[in-house]
Amino acid sequence: MFRRLLIFSLTAALLFGLAATGFTAKETLHMYTAFDVDEAKIYMDAFKESYPDIDVKWVRMSAGEVLARVRAEAKNPQASIWFAGPSTSHIAAAGHDLLDPYTESLAWQYLPADFKDPEGRWTGFYTGFIGFATNKEFLEKHGVEAPTSWNDLLKPVFKKEISKAYAYTSGTAYTTLISQLQAIGPKKLGWDQEDEEYIKKLSAQIHHYTKAGSACVTEAGLGEVAVGIAFSHDIVAKGIAKGYPVVMSFPKEGTGYEIGAVSLIKGGPEPQLARVFFDWLMSAEAQSLFKKWNRVPLNPQAELAEGLVTAAQVPVIEGFGGRITWYGERKDEIIDRWRQITGR
Amino acid sequence: MKITLYLRESRNEIKRLIKDPVLLISIAFISGLLFLFIVFPLIKVFQYSLWPEGEFSAKYFAEFFQRSYRWRPLINSLTVGALVALFGTVIGFIYAYGITRTDIPFKRFFRTVAIFPIISPPFLIALAAIFVFGNHGVITDLFNLDWDIYGLDGLVMTETLAYFPIAFMVLEGVLSKVDPAMEEAALDLGASKLRTFFTVTLPLATPGIATALLLVFIRSLEDFGNPIVIQGDFPVLTVEAFLAVTGMYNMPLGATLAIFLLVPTMIIFVVQKYWVSRKSYVTVTGRPSGAGLQSTERRTKYPLMAAMIFLSSCVLLFYGVVLYGSFTRLWGVDNSLTLENYRYVFSVGGQYISDTVTIALIATPIGGILAMIIAYLVVRKKFLGKGVMDFVSMLNFAVPGVVVGIAYILAFNTRPLQLTGTASIIILIFIFRRMPVGIRNGIAQLQQIDPGIDEASTDLGAGLFRTFGRVTLPLIAPAFLSGMVYMFVRCMTAISAVIFVVSADWQLLTVALLHEVDNADLAQAAAYGYVIIVIVLTAIIGLRLVVGGLLGRRTTLFQPE
Repeated sequence: MFRRLLIFSLTAALLFGLAATGFTAKETLHMYTAFDVDEAKIYMDAFKESYPDIDVKWVRMSAGEVLARVRAEAKNPQASIWFAGPSTSHIAAAGHDLLDPYTESLAWQYLPADFKDPEGRWTGFYTGFIGFATNKEFLEKHGVEAPTSWNDLLKPVFKKEISKAYAYTSGTAYTTLISQLQAIGPKKLGWDQEDEEYIKKLSAQIHHYTKAGSACVTEAGLGEVAVGIAFSHDIVAKGIAKGYPVVMSFPKEGTGYEIGAVSLIKGGPEPQLARVFFDWLMSAEAQSLFKKWNRVPLNPQAELAEGLVTAAQVPVIEGFGGRITWYGERKDEIIDRWRQITGR
Repeated sequence: MKITLYLRESRNEIKRLIKDPVLLISIAFISGLLFLFIVFPLIKVFQYSLWPEGEFSAKYFAEFFQRSYRWRPLINSLTVGALVALFGTVIGFIYAYGITRTDIPFKRFFRTVAIFPIISPPFLIALAAIFVFGNHGVITDLFNLDWDIYGLDGLVMTETLAYFPIAFMVLEGVLSKVDPAMEEAALDLGASKLRTFFTVTLPLATPGIATALLLVFIRSLEDFGNPIVIQGDFPVLTVEAFLAVTGMYNMPLGATLAIFLLVPTMIIFVVQKYWVSRKSYVTVTGRPSGAGLQSTERRTKYPLMAAMIFLSSCVLLFYGVVLYGSFTRLWGVDNSLTLENYRYVFSVGGQYISDTVTIALIATPIGGILAMIIAYLVVRKKFLGKGVMDFVSMLNFAVPGVVVGIAYILAFNTRPLQLTGTASIIILIFIFRRMPVGIRNGIAQLQQIDPGIDEASTDLGAGLFRTFGRVTLPLIAPAFLSGMVYMFVRCMTAISAVIFVVSADWQLLTVALLHEVDNADLAQAAAYGYVIIVIVLTAIIGLRLVVGGLLGRRTTLFQPE
């Protein structure tokens, strides 16, 4: 009796397993995305409406993690497209020869040179600016204003009250770092003495580091920390728009921005389907969806969110865009220095 | 002389083996599997660490000792482990003593509470700690506390709560089996109850206490989920190894850190297996020892009960708050109730649920059967290298999950065994990591069955498989089924090994939960947590009914590791 039950359950398990791992009638596109899960869902659902026969299987990881994953899988890529994340990570991947060029999308015509890889290995589709999300209750309680300068973050009142992501896992954090490197001290590429001192002092103010870049916004909203350093669209979408008591501010010395990119992974299993998604993404219709997350689309015909934070309202570091590629190509070394200084 | 004797014995054993081809093939097959999926990945870890670019280099090892941000996490992990082992064992002892040695009421309730943390993903407790003691926590707001839960305090608190059940189960087993005759003798000779406790009971329970301490220490050392949520600025080694691999793609570094994580756990495992467990002072008779000496004294009863009530309320508070949190719209800001989080879990996470349950349902029976076969071979058969098989099959039990995860992606990402990205690699991790418990159960159960029964079967002409299938297996059914339940539970709640191997095709609920926490989407994380708990509870209760109905007897569905 027991034996029969055993055989039955084993066969059932095996059949179940076979059926589950079996094939579906749809075509599948495997994707890595750096977008927040809540946000990614918006675009996946919209894509599904336009292309119901394509089943997108996506994994969410921070940009640095996607880079690590794509490198680890170089001999046998598991995904075909890398959707979102600052261009710096995509540039690093291109440097390791992990991306396939694609210049046939319609974006190629409307994008200025700064916003795409000259060889077409990555293509920009949105931008966002690094800002501070500060908890209002904290400001009231301590009688201070929200930080409006990189140096404000070093004030004693913010000691152990700041959170941000690790520079190596998160694209947001790397963009923050290269903004700091350029805003602080003399205007030269890479690290200098003042940068090192600043980063050292800042790390003493950090309460903890997160893996994902936008987590600090929610943490500031919850009051777990006072200040989070993240992209403006995340500050609005995950903080203010959600109802958290946070206020957004920018450093007056100048802040940096990301060119959010999409790229085709070399040797991916579904290059054709990846191109379908790519092309859809560049359309005005797709980019109008960014309204929902307060992102700044790069397609000039896309609709914009109301009250959107654009470059006009933010003190952007001069010539930042032209240097992004330089910083992207040297990501490994720059981060290594950061790790040595911060000890993280 | 001894050597020749040994050689002759071995030669005889080999001859015996050759005469029994079925046995020989089984042993070869099992050994092959064990080597491929337990030993080989570990070898790869060493290879990546010490031969990083093809040439031998102790560079990463040297760097480990030179840079404080490399070795400090190890010290941190050990510190946390020691504290958690201590507190966890004390709490486990309080529960165990209260339940087995006094006549306090509501024992079933206390026992359930003591075991509850096992069926949830361990890092749900860290999430609960934030809900309770975070800046907008329930207790923080109530008492206006100014306490930062992140860091050492948080780690010790959450891991103690998560792992004291292990100490409890070990100690419950030990305390209930200590022969009451010893204590009665002491009392008869005029010793006070207190004196008896310290001079008789406690010493007799010492190996059990040592085992509890060591097991909890290992679990704390290998904990990944709790630290990644609540470590704050107090880094521990598991998280560092994880970040090295997934955040930096620095395989040699990750492998090196993995080795440093492996050393303490292996030492403890070996100490426990080959020294402490041999010193068991428990009398194991075939009969249940019934009620031990039950204390009815108020002096012992009431303080114990008070402690247990307090601790139980802590556990219930933590889980209760998470349950409440899963229904809030925006924790900390808008506490209005909503089903939105669960809707989210079932829509975005619907695929994850089916993936996780599918994989768990495939891994569980395979692991269960494999465990029974190995237990049978180890207990009943004599063959060359038996000790090695015994050791290796238990090895993965001492290897931290993070190490296993790293080892598997290093070992199986190139031809001929390219398993990364598939369901198989997840299934394999589950099978070989969780098998040791099933084996232990099987061994314990088999040792209680007279080998004469098996011999009778083989004497009557049944082959190895027939005997195993028709005679042995039905007799060890309780161990088999409880092993399977345990395995299913662990599959549903595992995180530290599998976080490395999830892919776009196969996602797991625990990983999704961790992503939500990482993104500080606490209410959604709480919803995921409870979905996992409900699935696990359904499985346990379902199996309990099936087992009860089939076999008509009660079984203990959980064994300590």
